[in-house]
Amino acid sequence: MALHLNLLHEEISEQRQRQRDPLKIGTKLIAAIGVLMVVFYIFKAYQTLEIKNRLSRVQRDWAKVEPDVTAAQKRTAELTAIVGTTKVLDTMVEGRFFWAPLLQSISLCVAPNAQLTGLTGSINGDGTKIDLTIEGVAAGREPRAAAEELRQLLSEQLGQRYAAVKVEFKTLEDLDTLVNVAGSNMAMARYIISTTFSPQKPEPAKPAPTRGSK
Amino acid sequence: MLPGKINKDQLQKILLSGIGFIALIYVYFTFFLGPLNKGRATAEASITDLQAKLASSKSEMAKAQTLAERAAVATGRFALLKAMSPEGAPIAWFPPRIRALFANQQIEKITVRLENSTPFKEAEMAEWNHYNWLIDLPQADFSTLGKAIVALENSEPLLAVTKVTIKAVGDDPQFQQVTLNATSTLRK
Repeated sequence: MALHLNLLHEEISEQRQRQRDPLKIGTKLIAAIGVLMVVFYIFKAYQTLEIKNRLSRVQRDWAKVEPDVTAAQKRTAELTAIVGTTKVLDTMVEGRFFWAPLLQSISLCVAPNAQLTGLTGSINGDGTKIDLTIEGVAAGREPRAAAEELRQLLSEQLGQRYAAVKVEFKTLEDLDTLVNVAGSNMAMARYIISTTFSPQKPEPAKPAPTRGSK
Repeated sequence: MLPGKINKDQLQKILLSGIGFIALIYVYFTFFLGPLNKGRATAEASITDLQAKLASSKSEMAKAQTLAERAAVATGRFALLKAMSPEGAPIAWFPPRIRALFANQQIEKITVRLENSTPFKEAEMAEWNHYNWLIDLPQADFSTLGKAIVALENSEPLLAVTKVTIKAVGDDPQFQQVTLNATSTLRK
């Protein structure tokens, strides 16, 4: 067996030791990982740049339409408010109680032998009920009958126009004084008529169903 | 030193490398990749938001157009009702207007007083107020009064008479003393 002498043993050993140096290996490993990280970072940065480009494109598009959209939104809000306000105002205008027709109805009920001395009418808060107080005097052979005639006429006239009409005497009393009507002395009665009704018109009566002809 | 075994010096170097590696990872994620990802997420969120706005913008504009067409009548009526409230405090212009109206109906003696004003409860009526007025007519003929009330109710759609008091004047049965309580809806 031949004898081999390795004269470079120490040198080779040192070289192996240098190659196995953990710091060196670590540094290389870190450098490799660092390179990978940089590549990954560049890749991500490119992606981000692309997204930011897309964002600026979308922002440009939005900037083009934004004034129109803002104006449209403002107009919509304005119109909605106007429609709401008009609705409330319309309800008020249409829900009013008109006093002139009522005064006309009352004037139609007053006979020559009756006189009104006072009238107070008021509508309740929600506009569903009218309270009316009529004061006056009636003259005639039967002054109470004249006052009753006025009450009945009022009930009839108001019933044609309004609903839930209630006309009743609050006071009806004979007076001692006589009054001259058309040349003859007549007795007098003083009355206070209290009336309540609803401003809604009464439902028109439905015609009775007729039999079909053969 | 035996081959395959790590001596103290090498162990120190390995530890140092490990610490360096951890520091590198920390710096990379905290100062480089983290902000990049954050910026990207923010940009993506902005894109989503803007795209949603862009998508809804068409419907918003169409809605405004449709509403404008539908509300044309209401807008016209609102303009008319609004025009009934001139600029300035109602106490300054409302009594003269009512006085003129009654004067046109041959009722010259008239006093118009503001009792109070109250705001509306409805949110859409924030710019409007209720004004309660007391209209005194010390000398009015019944039939003339009726005509004047017709004129008042027709020319002032936002005015509602809430109470009517008519009393005969003692000396002259031809004339009556009249008080009207009225509520008008006017702009503030």
